[in-house]
Amino acid sequence: MRRITRGALRYLAVVLLGGLAGCDNTSEPAPPPQGGLSAAAGDAQVAATATTLQPYRVRVAAADGQPEADVTVSWAVVSGGGSIDPASSVSDGVGIAEATAVLGDVPGIQVVTASVPGHAGSPVTFRSRGLGPGFSVLGGGGNVPERYTSDLWVADGYGYSGTWGNRGAVGNALKIWQLDLVGAPSLVDSIVTPGIGTVSDVQVSEDGRWLMFTGERGTPSGNGIYVYELLAPGQPVFRAHLAAAEGLHTGTLAEIGGSLYAFTAKNPPSPSMIVYDLSGASGGTITQESSTPVPANYGIHDTVVRDGICFAFVWNEGVYIYDVGNGTAGGSPAAPVQLATLSIPGGQAHNGWWFWNQLTGEHRYLFIGQEMPGTVGVSSAGLIYVADVSDLRHPAVVASFSEPGAGTHNFWVDEQREVLYAAYYNAGVVALDVSGALTGDLYPLRRMATIRPGAASTYTWGVMLYNGSLYTSDMLSGVWQLGVP
Amino acid sequence: MKSWFRRALVLVAAAAPAALAAQMGLGPWWAAQAIAVVTWADPIPGGGGLTEARVVQPMVMLGWRGLAGHLQLQGTIDLEGATIPDGELAPGAWGEGFYDRRHPHTTVHELMVSGMDLLGRAGGPVRVSLSAGKGFAPFGSDDPMSRPIARYPINHHLAQILERAVALVGIRTGPVLLEAGVFNGDEPERPGQWPRWQRFGDSWSGRLTLLPVRGLELSVSRAGVHSPEHRPGAGTDAEKWHAGGRIERAAGPAMVYALAEWARTTEADGRFQFRSVLVEAAVDLGRKRIYYRFEQSDRPEDQRELDPFRSVRPNLENSILGITRFTLHTAGLQYLIPVWHGRIGLRPFLEGTLGTARNDGGGVLTPEILYGSEQVRQLSGGLRIGYGMAGHRMGRYGGLLPQPASHSHPGM
Repeated sequence: MRRITRGALRYLAVVLLGGLAGCDNTSEPAPPPQGGLSAAAGDAQVAATATTLQPYRVRVAAADGQPEADVTVSWAVVSGGGSIDPASSVSDGVGIAEATAVLGDVPGIQVVTASVPGHAGSPVTFRSRGLGPGFSVLGGGGNVPERYTSDLWVADGYGYSGTWGNRGAVGNALKIWQLDLVGAPSLVDSIVTPGIGTVSDVQVSEDGRWLMFTGERGTPSGNGIYVYELLAPGQPVFRAHLAAAEGLHTGTLAEIGGSLYAFTAKNPPSPSMIVYDLSGASGGTITQESSTPVPANYGIHDTVVRDGICFAFVWNEGVYIYDVGNGTAGGSPAAPVQLATLSIPGGQAHNGWWFWNQLTGEHRYLFIGQEMPGTVGVSSAGLIYVADVSDLRHPAVVASFSEPGAGTHNFWVDEQREVLYAAYYNAGVVALDVSGALTGDLYPLRRMATIRPGAASTYTWGVMLYNGSLYTSDMLSGVWQLGVP
Repeated sequence: MKSWFRRALVLVAAAAPAALAAQMGLGPWWAAQAIAVVTWADPIPGGGGLTEARVVQPMVMLGWRGLAGHLQLQGTIDLEGATIPDGELAPGAWGEGFYDRRHPHTTVHELMVSGMDLLGRAGGPVRVSLSAGKGFAPFGSDDPMSRPIARYPINHHLAQILERAVALVGIRTGPVLLEAGVFNGDEPERPGQWPRWQRFGDSWSGRLTLLPVRGLELSVSRAGVHSPEHRPGAGTDAEKWHAGGRIERAAGPAMVYALAEWARTTEADGRFQFRSVLVEAAVDLGRKRIYYRFEQSDRPEDQRELDPFRSVRPNLENSILGITRFTLHTAGLQYLIPVWHGRIGLRPFLEGTLGTARNDGGGVLTPEILYGSEQVRQLSGGLRIGYGMAGHRMGRYGGLLPQPASHSHPGM
């Protein structure tokens, strides 16, 4: 029987990842077996900028492993600003030397080293994060009282949000929001679609012309994909619908070879990735290009498509990576070619984001959201895993992040600022610093800020960055505009 | 509905002579039961009340015992797939994709073969049985169909594990009975469905029963069930406990039946916990029977389809929408009208339920949203028809339990 607890999984993941990545975030390591220098306390603190931290401590040992007194340890701030005092300190009778750091004025990670020339392990590195002012609520909230809110997309001054389940009213409505001069959303219209019970995913094409949403939990003829043409922003005109009897859990738009496609997740009992060609949508036609079955291990929950590469998040199967027009393996939307499968500890791979770092040009990391069991509206569970996909045929998990008491849902990444925004259900929204190399356990150092915009009425489904604001869809409290850290 | 009712009566009348006398001895035996019932319930999903007439629990049991009592074949055909394809109206009921309607059981409810008293005289005081087929796992209490109250308890999926491909061993010595079995974890999704054979053995259960005096049973059960609600096996596992006491015996001029049970199921490594306490009793005085049940049971709330009585199957993920705790009092009266020299029992009955449904621990599907109310009311009246049901305790195999004290079995 499967009897693996979440804690055990996390421990295992962290140990494995830490081991693979050479993670050095240990705050209370054992004394070195031979003469040397090691961290004793104080690493990985998180506090507001310019805060005085708890002392950093190192342990100095002689060659026989015994504590070594009266050894001078030099301290220095390597990056991140701030200060360390004193610049040097002497180890006491049990081999401990300490110094106290003050974080810099700029949010970010401060790096401090302690060194003793000639001692193994020197220098020892301490990293702590200085937090900025964090998120702020700029507008919205409490604006969809009759339904539970699902997915969200913002484009050209308008927002489009789906609805979910049954809150007295069924989740068959797409809400249309106009953003005012400062970006605050106001409800201006709704599209109610009979025959669906949940608007499961929403997206506007990159050129702003097409609005697509998917439906599930409805009737066999109502479930499926809906395409509207945006003759003007915020003014969708229905063009086409194609039924998928079991329902579509998500849909992702991608332009490949000059044509617009929707990569969708068909629900069990026979789950598959269905690719629709939307080229004929203006004439009322949606054409199914392909259907790629996956094991009924629940099925696909979400897809990410960039540069002809499709990542499908296939629950307990992990992540399937397809060439759907990239050219590396001859795949196309009509005939996806699978490049690799990536497993994550505990399965339940739900969503992701392929990070194209705009500062470094790297396409190295795939962020993977894991959705573990919870009580909708109250609790959630699941980690963020980071995979190195530099080699798409040989991806590997290299890091993870776990927010205490909550599990993640959908992502958005600010690829200029190297910040991952993660909807975190009952924990609201979490911002992670994803700059540089990502290894081992990313908590707490990478955690920049968090917010629960609806306070007790917070269960955040999705996030999207637009015009410098972060827009969030919260199942309980509607659509919000947030200021970012 | 009416045609099924007629067919059931014709079936009973045509085959009656072969049955009761042979029931507990060698040779073939059979029994049958059906309940014609009119039920009013308030609230239903969406609010308000609803009245429905249905034939529920229509079943025919067939059996054969031979080889000097060492071999038994036993089968139960359940026709609810035909009479209640959309379930039986019952606020609080859940399971197998149904909510506030008790689901129809699979057509082949039981089909078991048992090797009984396999050690014979060599076993001395120890009797051993082996059973296999489709049926009940050794866990919990008797199937509600063989109990006196027409309304199904809410804890059906907490206190019984049924309709599985199961293999079990039973060992009885003196007043101690130990049963252990393995089976497939998946619940059926529709009446015509068979267990997923490739999952046989992914789940297990055991039940220890003490029989200190005649008519009294004390038992404790434990089970580990893999992915019961997701047939391919990707769902969460259930860890189940059950403890109960059952009595059935004469008390002066009366025949008394009582059951007290506690059950707990945890899922997703303890993230979800569903509990149940149930006490029910029936007293037969002559032809009159009165009965009462108290039940407090938790129900996990799943995402519904547009039909609010149905949940999405297969599930799309492992989360739930909340837990509703039902606290219900059910009481009823029956009157026995023996027909055909007592071979057929007709029991007109009237039964009512009052109680509450309250959210436990939050979530997005609360009774206020679902029903618009926390008060639960139900009234049922109808006719229970039984033939040859005396002594049959559905879900018990191997002949290791004592025969009932009277043919006036509570399930009749």
